[in-house]
Formats: sequence, structure tokens, C-alpha cells
Amino acid sequence: MNQFLNYAVPGVPFGCVFALMAVGLVLTYKASGVFNLAFGAQAFVSALAYVSLIQDGWPRWAAGVIAVLVIGPFVGVLLDRLLFRRIRTASPLVKLVPSLGLLVALPQVALIIAGSTPDIPPPAIVGNAQEVYLHIGSVPLSGLELSISASTVVVVAALVALFRFTPVGLEMRAVVESPRMTELAGVNAGRVSAFAWILSSIMAALAGVLLSPLYSQLDPQNFTVLLVWGVAGAVIGRFSSLPLALVGGLALGVGQQVIAGYMPAGVIANGLRPSLPFLVLLVFLPLARQHQLDDPLSGCDPPSSTVERTTSGYHSASTLAAAGGTVRSVGLWHQRLVGDGGIRAPGLLTRRPTATLAWAVAGLAVLSALTWVPPDWLLTMNQGVAFAIIFLSLTLLTGMTGQISLCQATFAGLGGFMAGQLANNVGLPVVIGMVAGGLLAALLGVLVAIPTLRLAGLPLALATLAFALLADNILFPNRLIGNGAGGVTVPRPSAGPVSFAATKPFFLLSLVILSIAAGVVKLVGDGTIGRYLSAVRGSELAANSVGIDVYRLRVLVFALSAGLAGVGGALSGSLEGSLSPEAFSYQVSAVLLVVVAIVGLSSITGAVVAGVVYTTLQVAVTTLPSRFAGLVAVLFGLATLSYTRHPEGFLDYLGDRTQAAIARRRARRLRGDALGAGPSGVGPSGAGPVAPGGFEPTPVGEGAG
Amino acid sequence: MSTGGKLLVASGITKTFGGIVALDHVTLDVGRGESVGIVGPNGAGKTTLFNCLFGLEEPDEGTVVFDGRRIDRMPVWKRSRLGIGRTYQRMELFEGMTVADHLLVAEQAASGTVRIWRDFLHRGGPSPDELRHVEEVLDLLGLADLAGRPVDTLDLGHARLVELGRAMMGTPLLLMLDEPSSGLDAEDTARLAHILDETRRSTGVAVVMVEHDLALVESTVDRLYVLNFGKVLATGGVDEVLSDPDVRRAYLGSTA
Repeated sequence: MNQFLNYAVPGVPFGCVFALMAVGLVLTYKASGVFNLAFGAQAFVSALAYVSLIQDGWPRWAAGVIAVLVIGPFVGVLLDRLLFRRIRTASPLVKLVPSLGLLVALPQVALIIAGSTPDIPPPAIVGNAQEVYLHIGSVPLSGLELSISASTVVVVAALVALFRFTPVGLEMRAVVESPRMTELAGVNAGRVSAFAWILSSIMAALAGVLLSPLYSQLDPQNFTVLLVWGVAGAVIGRFSSLPLALVGGLALGVGQQVIAGYMPAGVIANGLRPSLPFLVLLVFLPLARQHQLDDPLSGCDPPSSTVERTTSGYHSASTLAAAGGTVRSVGLWHQRLVGDGGIRAPGLLTRRPTATLAWAVAGLAVLSALTWVPPDWLLTMNQGVAFAIIFLSLTLLTGMTGQISLCQATFAGLGGFMAGQLANNVGLPVVIGMVAGGLLAALLGVLVAIPTLRLAGLPLALATLAFALLADNILFPNRLIGNGAGGVTVPRPSAGPVSFAATKPFFLLSLVILSIAAGVVKLVGDGTIGRYLSAVRGSELAANSVGIDVYRLRVLVFALSAGLAGVGGALSGSLEGSLSPEAFSYQVSAVLLVVVAIVGLSSITGAVVAGVVYTTLQVAVTTLPSRFAGLVAVLFGLATLSYTRHPEGFLDYLGDRTQAAIARRRARRLRGDALGAGPSGVGPSGAGPVAPGGFEPTPVGEGAG
Repeated sequence: MSTGGKLLVASGITKTFGGIVALDHVTLDVGRGESVGIVGPNGAGKTTLFNCLFGLEEPDEGTVVFDGRRIDRMPVWKRSRLGIGRTYQRMELFEGMTVADHLLVAEQAASGTVRIWRDFLHRGGPSPDELRHVEEVLDLLGLADLAGRPVDTLDLGHARLVELGRAMMGTPLLLMLDEPSSGLDAEDTARLAHILDETRRSTGVAVVMVEHDLALVESTVDRLYVLNFGKVLATGGVDEVLSDPDVRRAYLGSTA
């Protein structure tokens, strides 16, 4: 018992911080429908402000008050106003991508504003962090541990009082129960939701400030890792119960210390502790009821925003009818419906008339690059090609099925490691190693998919996030897989007499592999599977009812996607010569998803462009002075902001603008030619500027009815 | 499994939600090629019964035997492939897909596996057989002219026909229609009755339908079940059941 206490009591302060995060997450999730993964970044921002102020000579308590009660809520209200308010009723992907983007961008922006990272070790708000003030039994309690626990007790007491005894507390409880009903009762739900953001941000800030003394220097990484514990706590609270989330966070904090205490030292203990959130998510996610998780506001809020229109693929009958024959619906799902044939390839991928020409030109340009581009640039381009394959795996999974994976980098890493290990230890040719790496990643994809794919939307995203974390901690450090910090070398391939070791042949090989990958994605999108997926998106219930095994279909696509990512990772490893696990951490997965979502998930072009953009960003971050690296993060943040306006992606936005312009001109010409050309100009874009998600009807008479 | 040659035999189906008994030992059978109606006041448990038969809800008790096989533990898609087509009271269409694609998806799905290798070899094109069957059903429903239209652009009457057509793909043995006339005007309803007759004559498919429109019931149904408060109140020929005083009291109000 005494030993148990020895392990458990030091876990309480951690538990307190996890609990604060879990409660904050649940609060904003229920009040605004957004699961705020940027929570960890908010914690970092306040911790940074706290330490910076102290370095500037402020007393510790004043710095703490400013960081927690001014800066924290300020950031929260800003995010709510600029971003999260607009996506209240959007699809899970549209809700998730901005918060992921902010998770990466926000700390960098804060570092730019702060000017420099403070170089003093963060102190505790009160007392001396390291000094032992009292003992429970034989367990010593330091100033840090005491201040964390005491502050949490105070906050929880204040929260309870707020919810029980104040009018706004009552309103918040009501909004959490049902925003729509509360509004009907005359309460301004928007105001209450803003209040929830303030509260939640205070908790994020407090968690950041309280925990900062744990680290000798502030690093955003530490705070994003903490976030995962908060997420696990929120899941224990079933995304809806504040008290349960509180208890869950506490239990996780104590649990991880106890596990660390009792388990023998080594990989298992070191790995098991950080993967506790994964186990918790795996156990608790299915317990929480699906409809509760998916969207607390579904059916509550009217689907009014542009975001909703562009992502649900909804289009009113009248506008479509006005379009007569040829209609393009716009959304994440581009479907080209032509009025004469009846049966068409479902067209899960965007198709534009100019696409073939553009591809031919781009292909020639890239091939010509072999002759004039300097070799080190060619290497960079080649990295873009490898990542394009990884992005294609997201086009397939997220673009076509709407499922969100936050572990694509994990699959890519596994594919790369396996290719290298098989080449080095078994002596397989590297090309076969790449294929085997892809197959192994696909196999693992099936293993991940089987327990997680009963989930959808946010819970699935969180489950894949947890899996990525598990892989980071248990699989990648393993000597036989990622080989820890040492990484794995992956040789360049050769096929018989042909060696791909030199830059140019390898580039050609990469292009061939990319073409095959693109072909696979296209065939899947245009074939029976694409038609099934299209049906599932239309109505999962009906898809099941006509005999489609939706679950198996999803597992299949998930595995295919994992395999593609694995091949991409293997190619990237062979290009670089070696791979290190940190290049495939869960943060990388998040960045990959955000990049390809912003560029465009609905086409192969989107994946290729995303590959180019991502590689360019990487080069910019590594070669430019660190000040500019921050600028890249700012750009990233801005792109995230714009994403909420154009969730169809940058490429499709551009394409739609172009097509709208062409259609407008054609309509004008038709009107000039013959009077009464039909209601072609009456579409949503007929008046005023083109709505980003609107579509331009082609004039009646163009297609057969 | 002996079911006396019946196509569908459900016995002792019981389903409770919390403390509410939605279905209380309901027993129902449908013969091959027979047309059976289920009527009853709102909240009688008609749709819940449908969901239990089709697998959307798991009954607390009871067995369902279809075509000689126990199906009460099967997932929905498997029951569908065995030969049950279903429509919904609140239509469930594949938004954005064309009329013809609706039928094609159902035809391909009814035949079984996801054909990933075939997809790669044939680029996912439908087979001539599948196309022919789609065209047959389009003709039967009078939807041939609308084949290429996205379903979102159809009026309610045609949309209901598309849903019916989708349920008819893959030559099912049983059609389960949940309020097929809901929202239709008299003309559309008459057309629906005609199409149902045609379909039954040409394919011999059995029909079980939940329906409020008594005119449609009288014209298309051989036998009737009346549900009230989760129990079978009466069963038998349409005229006989509808003249039953208990049924009149429960269904049409006590004064009738």
C-alpha cells in the first residue's frame, strides 16, 4: 500500500493538469461543436507569455495572472471569432483541420510575437518548484506539485460554484444539453458559447503555466504531447460529462505514474506509459454512443453557412433543375453528372476538360527537368514525388470516404523501415522491399481498421491519432522496426543490370511509381468501389440496405491507403538513404492532413501539388534562417484560416472560379444569340460574386434532358 | 428449418426501448409471392417491426426465418443479398448519383463481393447483364427518360419510384415497403399500385408493406396484419380485418 502511494501521489498533479485539459476540451466541444485540438498550443502560448513576462522582470504572480486571465481568454475569444464559430455545423474534417493547423502554427506565431524563446527555466507561480514542503505518508510533495493540485482544486470549486449558482452557469448547462432548445428559450447561445471558450481557454492557460516548471526550457512539443492525455480524459468523459472528464484526467495522471512504478524499466514500461492514451481511447471510444460523439449540434443548428453547403454536397432541386442537363455539384465530392448517358463512372475525382492537357504539359516539363535542373534540386523534386504518393493515400481515404486518418505518416514510416530492414537484414532487393513495405503497412492498416473503423468522424480521427502515438512509442523505437534514434538505412534499388542509385534514374523510377499509385487511386475512384463509396456517402443506411458491406469496404480502402502510404515512405527512405522515426511522428501525420486538405483532397492533382508544397515548405524551414521558418508557420496558420472559407481546397476553388467565369461568358453569349435561353442566369451565382461553394449552371439545352 | 413453405416467418418478436414495449411477441408470416400489409395507428410498432425483420434493430426475443434460413443474427447487407429489398418512409437515396447509377449500385452489390481485381482489369465498367437488368427495371418503372438525372432533381413521386427500383435490383424474393405512398398524390399512388401489380406478376416477388393509405392497401394486399401497442390485433383477409369491430375501434377511433 505504501509503495502504491509512493507511485500514485506524484501522479496526482499530472492528473490535475490532464483533468483541466479534459474539462476544457469537453466544455468547448459541447458548447460549440468543435473538438479543439489546438488546446495544447493554447497552453503553450500562455506558458510562453508567463515565462517571458518573468524574464522581463514582472513578479511571478502578476505574470501568472496576466498569462492565465488575460492572454489565455484573449487567444480563445480570437479563435472563436475568427475560426471556430464559422464551422459549428460543418463536417468532421472541416472542424478538425483548422484546429490541427493551429496546433502547429499557433506556438510558432507566439514565438515570433514574443521575439525570442526565454532562456530562464520556468518557475512555479508560488513557492519553490523543487523544494519539498510537506509529506503524505512517506511521499514528499514539492512546491510544484502542491501548487498544481491547489490551483486545480480552486478552479474546480469555482467551476462548480459557477455552474450551480450563477445564471450564466445555468445557461451553459442548458447550452451543453441542447443549443437549439436553449436559443428557443430566449438565451443567446452564441454568447454562452463564447463564454465557454473563455473558460476553456483559461483552463488551457492554467494547465500550461502550472506545468511549465517541469521543463528546463519551453518547447511546444511538450505541450502537444500533453494534449493527447487531455483527449483521453475527454473520451473517458464521453465528450459530454464534465465530472467524468475530470475523474478521467485524474485517473490517467495517477495511472501512468503507477504503471511506470510497477513495470520493470525498459521498452515496455517506457512505451506503455505514453501509449496509455491509446489503450484508453480504444476501450472508451466505442463505449460512447456514436450519435453523441459525432456532432453535438447536428439537428440543432440550421445548415446555413457556406461551409455546410460546400461540404455536404447538398444542392437544392430547383437550382439543379435550372441547370437542365449538365450539372456539376461542388464540394469535397465532385461529381460530374451528364444528362445523356445514364450510367457514368461516378467520378469521385475532379475532372476538368483541361486536365489531360495540363498533365501532358506538366509531364513534359518534369521530364525536361532531368536535363537542366541541378542535381540537388532534383533531389528535392524527388522528395516531392515521394510525398505525393503519401498524399495520394489521403486522397483515397479522406477524399473519397471522408474518413480522417491521423496516422498516415506512421504507415509511411513503417513501409520505409520495413523496406530498409528487409534489404539490410534479409537481403531482399530494395524494389521488392518497397512492395513488401507497402504490403506490411496495408496489413497493419487492416489491424488498425478492424477495431477503429466502427467509429467515424471525430472518434476515428482520435483513434488513429492514438495509434500513431502508440507506434511512435512502441513500434518505432524497436530495433527490428524503426531502430529508435539511430533510424534505418534504405539503399537505392537496382534491377538486374539497371541501377537506380544515381539521381536521374532514381527520379525516373519515382515518377513511374507515382504514376502507378495515381493509376490505382483513379481506378478505385472510377470503378465499382468508387460507385459504392459514392453510395455510402449518399446514404450509409441505404448502401447497407442494397447489400454493400460498408464496414468491409472501409477496411479495404483503409488498407489500400495504408499500403500506398507505406510505398511512399519506402521511396522517400530510399531517396534519402536513411529514415529516422521522428520524421514520421504523429505531428507529421497531422501536418500532412492539413496540407493536403488545404490544397485539395478531391483530385490526384491535389495530392501532387500538396507533395510539391510540402517539400518546398520543408526546404524553406530547414534552409532559411530561423526567423523565416516562423514565417512559414504564419503562412500555414493563414492558410488554415482560409480553409474554413474554402473547405473544398485551394485547387478546386481556383478551378470553380475559372469554370464559373467561362460559364458566365458562355451564358452571356447565348443570351445574345437567342432570346429566352432559359433560366440560365438565375443560379446562385447569377447575382453578385460567385459563392465559393456555388456552382454555375450550364445553360439549358446544352445537355439532353 | 421447416416453415411450411412460407418465405418469411417471424415468431415471437419482442423489442423494448427502455421501459416501453414496442413489440410484444409479434408473429408474422409472408408466403412466396404473397402481398401482405401491416397497418395500425401511429406508434403501433410497424416500423420497429420492419427494422427487426431487416436487421436495423436487434429484437430482444424472437426468431426470423427467411427462405429457410435463420436471419435474425445477420447484418443488414447480408439479409439484403439473400433477397430482401427495402424502402424507407423517409426516403434514403444516394444524393448526387443518377437514377441509373442507383439501380446499378444495387444490382452490383446484390451479387456479392467488392470486385477490386475486376475493377482494375475492366476499369469498373458494368457487365452487359447488369446493364440489361437496369434497363428492364427502368422500363418497368417508366423511368427510362430520367435515367441520367441526378436523383436530387426528381420530384417526390419519381424519387419514390427510384427507391422502389433500387430495392427491386438483384431479383429479390421479398420487397419491404415502408409507407410507399407517403407524400404522394392520388395519381402517383395509383401509378405506384399499378407498378407493384406489374412487378409481382412479372417477377413473382412477395411484398410486405406498412401503409396508411387504405385504398392502396385494398388494391394491392392479399392479407393484412393490424398492429396496436406492439401486438398483433387482428390478421386475415383485407375486408374481413377492416370490418372487425376491435380494429375499427383501435384504428379508426372508438366512434366508428
